[in-house]
Amino acid sequence: MKGPLNFLMLSCKKASELIDLKSIKKLTAKERILLKMHLSLCDGCTAYAKHSKILDNLIHRHEQNQDDSGVPPLVGNNELKQRIIANL
Amino acid sequence: MQNVMDVDESSKTIRCWVELYADSMYSWALYKTSSKETAEDLVQDTFMAALQSYDSYKNISNPKSWLFSILNNKLQGFYRDRYRMPLHTNEGFYDNFFEKSGSWKPSQKPLEWTGDPSHLLDDGEFQNVLNDCLKKLPKIWLTVIQNKIMEGKKGDVICQDLGITDTNYWQILHRAKLQLRKCLESNWFKK
Repeated sequence: MKGPLNFLMLSCKKASELIDLKSIKKLTAKERILLKMHLSLCDGCTAYAKHSKILDNLIHRHEQNQDDSGVPPLVGNNELKQRIIANL
Repeated sequence: MQNVMDVDESSKTIRCWVELYADSMYSWALYKTSSKETAEDLVQDTFMAALQSYDSYKNISNPKSWLFSILNNKLQGFYRDRYRMPLHTNEGFYDNFFEKSGSWKPSQKPLEWTGDPSHLLDDGEFQNVLNDCLKKLPKIWLTVIQNKIMEGKKGDVICQDLGITDTNYWQILHRAKLQLRKCLESNWFKK
């Protein structure tokens, strides 16, 4: 994106940063406006913004599927137990 | 003589705790570090520390949660030591995705994803792709993304746990998402 209003335009690199930053903190008013302008003109970053949200959901639900209780599967390790006891 | 009795008693108790809790502690440490060796070391260190401070512990009622609190401390120490180094501010990473001008490289520009994302996880094949893509992330990135998205922790808590700065934190998150997004697109959505 080039032109006389170039100074008002975020690069895609910067826009994608702001998209992910938005998920952890509130953007400043200026950042919000610049991002909105960029997104209205850039389909790549618009897709990125969608995907960023989808990723959050996917990973969140993926983890819940792995184990509902949030406790990792139990892995037995008898060798380790014996070694610890021997070292006590 | 009294002392010897005490030492005997404490190591007997700890031995019993090893039998009871070592497996779940090891599983937890393995889950957190993804390294068999590290997990074993941390669990072993935890029991050593437990033995040393056994006397001061005697009156507390829940050995399992006490042992886990020591283990979690050790895990934090592990993250701190391992990841204290500043995130490379190398622009090389971003060069994979963006032109010098800051525009997406043509081959990297996000595409429209077709299909309903809410049903993706019902597909076992997609789950495999997601798992593979998650595994390809650098360990610290995976930890950050797990803490953030999976456990819903606040950024400042994660930074404290991992010994990273605020700026590093969201840059890691951003990089992880750039890479994960691309990996899913190439290995799933584009096919």
